[in-house]
Amino acid sequence: MSVSREEVLRIAQLAELDVDEEALPTLAEQMSRILDYVAQLSAVPANGTVKVFVPGPDAIRFRNDEVVPSQLEFGPKEFAPDFKEGFFVVPKLGQFE
Amino acid sequence: MSDAKAVADRLVKAKRLNALLTPPKELRKSLNTQSAEARPTGVLYGMPVAVKDNICTLEFTTTCGSRILEGYRSPYEATAVAKLKAAGALIAGKTNCDEFAMGSSTEHSAYGRVIHPLDKARVPGGSSGGSAALVGAGAVPAALGSETGGSVRQPAAFCGVVGIKPTYGRVSRYGLVAFGSSLDQIGVFGRSVHDAARVLSVISGRDPRDSTCEDRDPLRLPTVPESLQGFVVGLPKEYFPPELDPAVRRACDRAIRMMKELGAAVREVSLPHTPYAVPTYYVIAPAEASSNLARYDGVRYGPRFNGAADLRSLYRSTRGQGFGPEVRRRILIGTYVLSSGYYDAYYRRAQQMRALIAQDFRNVFDRGVDLLFTPTVPSPAFKAGEKLADPIAMYMSDIFTVTANLAGLPAISLPIGRVKGLPIGGQLIGQAFLEDEMIEAAYALERVVPATDEA
Repeated sequence: MSVSREEVLRIAQLAELDVDEEALPTLAEQMSRILDYVAQLSAVPANGTVKVFVPGPDAIRFRNDEVVPSQLEFGPKEFAPDFKEGFFVVPKLGQFE
Repeated sequence: MSDAKAVADRLVKAKRLNALLTPPKELRKSLNTQSAEARPTGVLYGMPVAVKDNICTLEFTTTCGSRILEGYRSPYEATAVAKLKAAGALIAGKTNCDEFAMGSSTEHSAYGRVIHPLDKARVPGGSSGGSAALVGAGAVPAALGSETGGSVRQPAAFCGVVGIKPTYGRVSRYGLVAFGSSLDQIGVFGRSVHDAARVLSVISGRDPRDSTCEDRDPLRLPTVPESLQGFVVGLPKEYFPPELDPAVRRACDRAIRMMKELGAAVREVSLPHTPYAVPTYYVIAPAEASSNLARYDGVRYGPRFNGAADLRSLYRSTRGQGFGPEVRRRILIGTYVLSSGYYDAYYRRAQQMRALIAQDFRNVFDRGVDLLFTPTVPSPAFKAGEKLADPIAMYMSDIFTVTANLAGLPAISLPIGRVKGLPIGGQLIGQAFLEDEMIEAAYALERVVPATDEA
């Protein structure tokens, strides 16, 4: 299984991730090796009857339907890159202007 | 109680390890305030506990060892941290770690690598390497880490300290920055089994803020047993392969002999799907990570990397520049295995394998085995840089630890000897929610095993 440069770029686009041009060959090579390595899972006969294992409680517990305030110590103004008048400020979507 | 200044002095003295991300001045100031406010009736009154930087605290920043969260201060704190404070413990700074807990050597931190406390050329293990190194250096008696595939037990083994990974659902994940949500658990480091276990007992128990946390009372600590009479300890043959480092094998053989002398019945068992655990993990964990890390986009948290003309390029440049190479690699692998056309071949197959691995453990425990004993890591701490260029070699460092995460089981690593001065860890894997039995056996083994003698 070999991952091409184009495939790395397509996946990077899906993941909303810029990838350096110089880093591409190494990345394609490493991804190919990792995917080859995990491909050994397909050597084991597939068994459609295996029930998926999920750790943790068997059923979702519901809380009582009561409003319990969970106060933040400080507001988004302090941890967001830009926050004005109750909104997160982002660059303009140029193409719609 | 310990004096805040003395606590800070010990931590600042360990500066050469690069294990602590909190600047000394801020640390001293906060410890003074905390120590004045600490509840004298708490069971951990005055005990300094360092906290891995992917666990949210109101004191100090929470960066996850990443540039993408540089300077980020959480507006709320993790349940585990709130419980520590309520018990009178002092939050003794934030510890360096592999970025978003992805790594096995703490070389993948945006804030520089962590140095092994006994050998500056070596790594402390990872991803909770900063916590392990500080406990190993005697700077704190205990620290919090987090586990997704062995990130507490593996560095505990490398640094010669005790590391506990609780059952999935024993400790609330509220405030633990998510990596692989079906695998993540907060774990504990201690200089001794007792130090680690009592911190674990404080942070465990139900939490209405985490629906994957079981509705159970906090863990009750067992007493130190006189013997291991009545314990059946299984030795899974897949964890003792012919290529195992001979010194690790000698240390394990010695520990096994001692457990027998303490009265434990020891028998060989088999967990046949073990060879598939690492590939299973490296499908499931990156898949969950690619989804969990989608939230870091330069809009809501941390710094925004500029040069972005529109929203799309803001996302891409922030994520491209904010994440380091290992995180980027895992996001790409995770996106790949979840993408259309590959989901069945990778992700579904890995989910099925995970179920078979969990079934292996149930089969062994159903046949009367109480605990399993294995080496924690196949070798002692490796040299910095040794495995950086080869991700798969790095991943193999987790080969004996990932199984407990995949199966959601509790496990503990404790020092069982040394090779050329470097610590070796032995691991006990317990049954779900039977941490008390596992800790009891660890107490007994810890008392007799010559942890700092050459194997």
